[in-house]
Amino acid sequence: MKGLFKSKPRTPVDVVRQTRELLIYTGRAPDTRETKREEKMAELSKNIRELKQILYGNSESEPVSEACAQLTQEFFRENTLRLLITCVPKLNLEARKDATQVVANLQRQQVHSKLIACEYLEKNIDLLDILVSGYENTDMALHYGAMLRECIRHQTVAKYVLESQHMKKFFDFIQLPNFDIAADAAATFKELLTRHKSTVAEFLSKNYEWFFAEYNSKLLESSNYITRRQAIKLLGDILLDRSNSVVMTRYVSSRDNLRILMNLLRESSKSIQIEAFHVFKLFAANQNKPPDIVGILITNRSKLLRLFADFKLDKENEQFEADKALVVKEIAALEPRDRP
Amino acid sequence: MAHEQEECSKKKIQYPLDSNSYKILDEIGVGVSAIVYKAACVPMNSTVVAVKAIDLDQSRADLDSIRRESKTMSLLSHPNILNAHCSFTVDCRLWVVMPFMSGGSLQSIISSSFPDGLSEPCIAVVLKETLNALSYLHKQGHLHRDIKSGNILIDSNGSIKLADFGVSASIYEPNTGQGGWASSSSSSASRMMLTDVAGTPYWMAPEVIHSHTGYSLKADIWSFGITALELAHGRPPLSHLPPSKSLLMKITKRLRLSDYEKSHNQKDKKFSKAFKDMVGSCLDHDPSKRPSAEKLLKHSFFRNCKGSDFLVKNVLSGLPTVEDRFRETRIVNKNGSVDDETEEDPESDSATTIVKQRRISGWNFNEDGFELDPVFPTESREKQSESDNSDDNVVKQVRFGGETIIQDQKSDNSSYSNSGSPGAAGDDQAEIEAGNIEIIESESNVGGGGDFDRETVVGGLVILRRSLDEQRQQVCDMIAMFGGEVTREDQLVQLIEKLKMELENERKKNFELEMELEFLKLQISGAYNSTDN
Repeated sequence: MKGLFKSKPRTPVDVVRQTRELLIYTGRAPDTRETKREEKMAELSKNIRELKQILYGNSESEPVSEACAQLTQEFFRENTLRLLITCVPKLNLEARKDATQVVANLQRQQVHSKLIACEYLEKNIDLLDILVSGYENTDMALHYGAMLRECIRHQTVAKYVLESQHMKKFFDFIQLPNFDIAADAAATFKELLTRHKSTVAEFLSKNYEWFFAEYNSKLLESSNYITRRQAIKLLGDILLDRSNSVVMTRYVSSRDNLRILMNLLRESSKSIQIEAFHVFKLFAANQNKPPDIVGILITNRSKLLRLFADFKLDKENEQFEADKALVVKEIAALEPRDRP
Repeated sequence: MAHEQEECSKKKIQYPLDSNSYKILDEIGVGVSAIVYKAACVPMNSTVVAVKAIDLDQSRADLDSIRRESKTMSLLSHPNILNAHCSFTVDCRLWVVMPFMSGGSLQSIISSSFPDGLSEPCIAVVLKETLNALSYLHKQGHLHRDIKSGNILIDSNGSIKLADFGVSASIYEPNTGQGGWASSSSSSASRMMLTDVAGTPYWMAPEVIHSHTGYSLKADIWSFGITALELAHGRPPLSHLPPSKSLLMKITKRLRLSDYEKSHNQKDKKFSKAFKDMVGSCLDHDPSKRPSAEKLLKHSFFRNCKGSDFLVKNVLSGLPTVEDRFRETRIVNKNGSVDDETEEDPESDSATTIVKQRRISGWNFNEDGFELDPVFPTESREKQSESDNSDDNVVKQVRFGGETIIQDQKSDNSSYSNSGSPGAAGDDQAEIEAGNIEIIESESNVGGGGDFDRETVVGGLVILRRSLDEQRQQVCDMIAMFGGEVTREDQLVQLIEKLKMELENERKKNFELEMELEFLKLQISGAYNSTDN
């Protein structure tokens, strides 16, 4: 009888279940024969690809939201995400990429207008530890990194990572010699520090001391061009964000910070100079400049004015010119204050 | 699947991540913000590699897109795709270390040794291997977006690899930073369509040029069809007239002087029915009617396809080395730009100039001529008569997603558009011009503005440059024509004298421009591709 009905199309739930079984199988100690194991791995890869196709559709068909919802629900009903994440190192390259895309997509799937992936991750927050540690492994970094960036789109998950000990590690990940991995880590770092405004503001206020000490010494004063360039850009994004105004006020009141910024202004790289200007202008525009800041600005006044005189963007930009004019005016008008 | 397993078991060899481990042997390609070297990796038995050194400080692309390109490359694994061994930064340069493809790009091979194109059996091998790569890419959800012979590389053993993911995009990767999350439940349709302009104009599909409609995987298939024509003719369609005559030239010739310089259309080459049919299907106006890469692989044209040995014997033997070819093109290009200086168009007053654009509404694939014919919007006929009478100072440009080109080159903007204009050549001449060229109002609805692609810009510049050439030719014609009239001779001599003065000025201005364009052109044809050689 069975032969008459060629394989009945499997439902999304079937695919998830079978994937889970195969994941459990491969997770076990390798006591089985090598050939059988390979067969199972191939079958697993096929299932993961099928999950991807249900979620993303393919060249012939669009994804069906009902199928996606069923898949998502079944996926998070049990521990499939943990099994899948821990199994990634055992998969081949194609299956790893498929798995990454599946995990990424699941973070966005809503079931009854709830992001159930978020609820799952909150209960299994240690999975984030695995994902972050991916940056220490050349083979895993890009896959885990991509999954990580999707997961921290959930505010609670991002908060966990921000407040964990992992945050310190990012200062090193960003400077790894392998460009792909370093750049991926930098993208994640940026996402952590810009996506969820209130969480970021809270994190920066609480961790101001160590965070900016690290940020200055490891990133802004790095010997690595790309690190400096990304760091100064990100610093601008952070400080210019309205929600971080308290942090900004604090940052621009420090003469050490000013010194670092003024050094960046002198860089030969135009990109770095310009990004540095966007932070420097905050020091100049601060209406409550501490005396030592005023002192530094006055001491270097002529040099600064000369620098800004030739300071142009490749493309004309009114906003930039206006900012520049303001900074120049501000610096030109400075008068030494009597020290108390 | 078997192939995938195999790839996986091959443990990736880690190349050293510091520049001291590499010894630069020769320069094999150069572009605006990148230089490509042939180098030896000393700790690995001096394995020869290609190193693309991208100046990140100069590069137009932002770091995010460079990161995506690099990541895409390192996560692809297919015998017909050029992978990076590794990449790392050296001061403000990003070094991308890749296998050295000793045969170089098909474009450089054709231009050095097969000016009239390759033979059909050779084309079949090249295209089939390219299709394998494309099929893999598409299955992965990636668009290449810049398929052309300059990005198809060949190794000494005849193996073919597709290179340059500088403009590739993934339909799976959400646009970083924005949007994606909010539209989480929306269908993938939006993700399947990309709307920014990328690629090199000659190879671009119509829906890419008119990018407001967005485009998908099928745009690559169009470019693949153009590449087939390129391999067959030695040049992409509409650039098949000698180097600096052009797209615009051909279009105007067809409309006005259809008997002029047509010889290049009629090649003595004959192509098989299967080949014509295959190319024709790729060049269907309707993207949905173009076959997928996978389907194309089954086309009869690829049946009984020869192997890579065939290419070694018929293409590679006796070929100058990549290094030599690179040096050669440099010299040729230098000379070329000097040769080019003849008459140029004078300036017109840009303040009073009405900028109009002539757009090509589509292409017809002419199977007999094995060529593409441009199609113009029909309403242009009415406009034509208007412009006949009124617009003396009309700036005409052919733009491919042109806004991006112009904005990006803001500083040069006026000089470009002016040189594209026959306007102030004298009013009578301008009228003659306007009568012969179809003009429609610009509908500058190409969106996006903000993000510029280097390739697009370069391509646009090339077209503008060719437009210059054409205008120069027209002025030449006119001078000749006026010179031929006896009655108004004195007057005309004066006029010509004046024109010459103006042209002299223009020429000076344009010389620099042309130098730069040559440089950029080199990059199109060369940079990465000849690099990877």
